Amino acid sequence: MVRDLAAATRAELGKVVTLRAVWLISGAVVGLHVLLGLQNLDAETEAVREITADGMIERFPGIVRPAREALVEYLAASSFQMCLFLPCVAAVVAGQEFRAGQLGTSLLAVPRRGLLAGAKVLAVGGFLLFVSIVIAAISTAFVYLSIKDWNPGLPVSAEAWTAQVKFLAYAVLSGLTTFAITMIARSTLIGILVTVALTVLTMSQILAVFTPALDALVPLSAGRNLILVPDESLRLSAGPGHAMVVLVTWPLLATAVAATALCRRDAR
Amino acid sequence: MIEVARLTKRYGRKLAVDDVGFTVRPGRVTGFLGPNGAGKSTTLRLLLGLDHPDGGTALIGGRRYRDLRHPLRTVGALLDGAGPVPERRGVDHLAWIAQSNRIPRRRVREVLDLVGLTGAAGQRVKGYSLGMGQRLGIAAALLGDPEVLVLDEPVNGLDPDGIRWVRDLLREYAASGRTVLLSSHLMAETAGTADDAIVIAGGRIVAHGSLDDISAGHESLESAFFALTGDRRGLGGRGGRGGRGEW
Repeated sequence: MVRDLAAATRAELGKVVTLRAVWLISGAVVGLHVLLGLQNLDAETEAVREITADGMIERFPGIVRPAREALVEYLAASSFQMCLFLPCVAAVVAGQEFRAGQLGTSLLAVPRRGLLAGAKVLAVGGFLLFVSIVIAAISTAFVYLSIKDWNPGLPVSAEAWTAQVKFLAYAVLSGLTTFAITMIARSTLIGILVTVALTVLTMSQILAVFTPALDALVPLSAGRNLILVPDESLRLSAGPGHAMVVLVTWPLLATAVAATALCRRDAR
Repeated sequence: MIEVARLTKRYGRKLAVDDVGFTVRPGRVTGFLGPNGAGKSTTLRLLLGLDHPDGGTALIGGRRYRDLRHPLRTVGALLDGAGPVPERRGVDHLAWIAQSNRIPRRRVREVLDLVGLTGAAGQRVKGYSLGMGQRLGIAAALLGDPEVLVLDEPVNGLDPDGIRWVRDLLREYAASGRTVLLSSHLMAETAGTADDAIVIAGGRIVAHGSLDDISAGHESLESAFFALTGDRRGLGGRGGRGGRGEW
């Protein structure tokens, strides 16, 4: 069973990496991340240069915070903003099954539908993790360039690793949620639209203002609650523990529904 | 050996396959004939586990398709509506299929060579002609060197050379003791290739036996087909044609 799952996962990974759209979107995300990193490099370097003797930094006008905390948060937050686009990769990967009868071919190759669903989740999760690690590495490189004269060890400190792991968890789990939604909807477009709608719920702050408890249940809000550090200018709708539960629950539930749908529906 | 018993499938109110039963023996090419919409493709999809039956069983070597551990090493299938993503290269399409069933990578090159697609292996499938697409589908079916071949309209889009190649391939396959089920609505193609035939119309099996038995009392397999299926549209212009090996 484990060998069959490994073979099916390798095959699914083969499908992912041989799809040009996947590389185009991933490349665009990584390229945009590099561009934004370059654009912010001077400002961040300048802010670091002006860190006060008591270790405070003013990254945004009027907001003075402990430099170490603010820069670790910046490390994860710069990756976090980029991985808003990663679910598109997951949607494209899931949606390919419903083009040109690909799902039929997949089921001819792996007719045990539970096994196929498991292999898909592992393969997509693995690919999302790979792209997320690239994004995290780029963030680390830019943060290092900004702070190398102040504290070059910060990007590999325990706090930095913790922040990176939180980002990676969010990136993979949110991507898997979109993947599962796309599998349920059997459409890349619908998968992306649902994800955009969930993103708008967080970005518009409507839920955060009126019902913070509900806001905390939205994946992007949970990601924000997990990765960012609250201060006077930023109020979060829940703590990191709650956020992690939300982030794990979304893909678990969505994947369970997607797997059930895959098992029960005809492959059309 | 393929054994189908009391297979039934509904799509909403429409009864697509109604209590279908037949056996396909090894060492023979069995044609699966029927007009468009008769239930051929649905039956094959049920046999291969793509659709869920409302009743009945479909077994290959005594087991359901979905219970086969490495199905492609037992059954090779070409189905309408089960194809590659157009943006993927032909070789990549075959490579992931091979990986899924732990089939050696070198087999991909072998089947590409066998179907004459080696030169186009690196092309994206959307650039393939209809015939090249069919050849890729046949290559996928042959990947696992299976004991059973289930092919739905395999000569669609093939040129005369390709059609003859498929015919020879299937004859050789059956001659080596393996099982071939060939779905088609082309009478002459079937007459030129098959030993046995199953005729389906309106979702029900209307004839099942050797080609000679089914054609007995009729001018040709085509005439027998139209008599059995009640479809007489083609009799006027084509009744005199047909017979083994003719097109």
